[in-house]
Amino acid sequence: MVELRSTINELLTKSAAAYGSQDAIRYKVKSAGEDGKKETVIESKTYAQLKNDSDRFKAAIEKLGEQGKHIAIIGATSYSWIVAYYGVVNGGSVAVPLDANLPAGDLCELIDRADVTTLVFDEAKADVAVMAVEKCAKLKNIIAMDSGSKVPDAKYMWKLIDEAQPTAGYEPKPEDLATIMFTSGTTGKSKGVMLTHRNLAENATALDMGYESGTVLMSVLPIHHAYCLSMDILKGTSIGAVICINDSLLRVAKNIKLYEPNMILMVPLMVETLAKKLEEASLIPAPIVKAKVFGRQFHTICSGGAYLNPAYIDLFKKYGITILQGYGMTESAPVISTNTNSDFKAGSIGKCMPNCEVKIVDEELWVKGSSVMQGYYKMPEETAQTLEDGWLKTGDLGYIDKEGFLFLTGRKKNLIITPNGENVSPEEIENKLGEERLIQEIIVRDSEGIIEAEIFPDLEYVKKKKIKDVKASLQEVIDEYNKTAPLYKRIFKLKIRDAEFEKNTTKKIKRF
Amino acid sequence: MYEKLVDIICNYVEVKKEDIKPESRFMEDLGFTSFDFMSMLGEIEDELDVEIDQEKAADIRTVQEAADYLEELM
Repeated sequence: MVELRSTINELLTKSAAAYGSQDAIRYKVKSAGEDGKKETVIESKTYAQLKNDSDRFKAAIEKLGEQGKHIAIIGATSYSWIVAYYGVVNGGSVAVPLDANLPAGDLCELIDRADVTTLVFDEAKADVAVMAVEKCAKLKNIIAMDSGSKVPDAKYMWKLIDEAQPTAGYEPKPEDLATIMFTSGTTGKSKGVMLTHRNLAENATALDMGYESGTVLMSVLPIHHAYCLSMDILKGTSIGAVICINDSLLRVAKNIKLYEPNMILMVPLMVETLAKKLEEASLIPAPIVKAKVFGRQFHTICSGGAYLNPAYIDLFKKYGITILQGYGMTESAPVISTNTNSDFKAGSIGKCMPNCEVKIVDEELWVKGSSVMQGYYKMPEETAQTLEDGWLKTGDLGYIDKEGFLFLTGRKKNLIITPNGENVSPEEIENKLGEERLIQEIIVRDSEGIIEAEIFPDLEYVKKKKIKDVKASLQEVIDEYNKTAPLYKRIFKLKIRDAEFEKNTTKKIKRF
Repeated sequence: MYEKLVDIICNYVEVKKEDIKPESRFMEDLGFTSFDFMSMLGEIEDELDVEIDQEKAADIRTVQEAADYLEELM
């Protein structure tokens, strides 16, 4: 049974008191075996250790004079990342989790826009830290999660933690800003979603999904995503779960065997790949296949972030695995609705969370309640367009049936939701590629789960430069763009037009 | 390595062996999703006892590029 928590500090403190000696986090480390060969072992930290380490990091942040400031965290999911996050927010500072896959220049722009004064990074992102020191004028402190960082003047996080003495310090209030999370906007510029302690803590604890403490969950999604941070880390902590860190997307199958989880939070893309694995062995009895792929103890997949074909729910059911489809967005911290074991309807995205209410306005889903964000950081116009009298306009079209289950029917906003739950702004890519001389007009859209660009080339330029193979030249432009873009923003389909796009009265290209 | 890789690809996506060319692109031509591709590389890690860097893997586009990268690791 989970009680409602209204600050993240309360959430962690009560879990540490209730589950102190139980494992909170498990992760893989490489150590030299007896034969000198590297071998992988699992290490773990208890709830008491997690609380103690994060309290010390909170004290270290205070000592640096950074209490209440904006602190960016960048890196893959790790124990250090989680300690840094809890330490920052529980000391009343604002965490800014950043997408480690973005190019260094883009990250520096976000660091600047979010008024970040301290950056915590893992060594794989040392290049970002070096560039940020040079380019981000407001940045005062650089903290490395790993020892021996090559970044000059970086302080070592675990040395700071060892030297710090936990103090009572600042106790965050429910209305305090806890986190700014960047999300793709429809205008092409990513927006910093401001979430308070109440937004995040109540979203994570409002719904009792019936899981016992000690439930083993494996965290596979990127931790800077609201879905992972809220549901794996915050909800996981609140129920006393054992959170196992998947170290690479390459090793999901291997790590399932290693950690033997009971449940995993996934995006539909992962469900689809695992479904192929199950179907490959369709002649073998289902319990044997399930035991081989997931282990006997595995029972639940929570799916969110994008549309999931309901056929997968039936397929996994044959193997004794329940898929619970949910729905949300960063702006609502993030879960808006979810199916549960006791309240389930195929094809729906479940019932609204108990701390929120929903209504339909001109077919669009609007949400109100304690999960709804405070607005976009320093973007009053975008905030006013999205929030109205406390109601969040989701941009999704849908309906509510008589029993209160929500169903989605389409999107109002022009945003691509990829099958792995990433939101991609077509305008952002169009603006970038539109700068190319060879491109006169471009539309970027989703095409069966991958991003497609439809281009009308600048024929005068083609003539002037005597370009013979326009398609090959455009493909070169796309290849160049793809080299610097993160995987989920890459264009994998190119369509060339021989006429201009149809325009509306304001001379904008008609998208649909 | 190339031949071995082609065999593994055939286990992952519905494509005929003879249709796989060195210049075939995993996502555009062979119908891989990004997670299919990562999962396949995970299986190759085990089979060849090598360690693949996820960031480098994300830059691989063609079958030949994958074969070259795996050769390097061996």
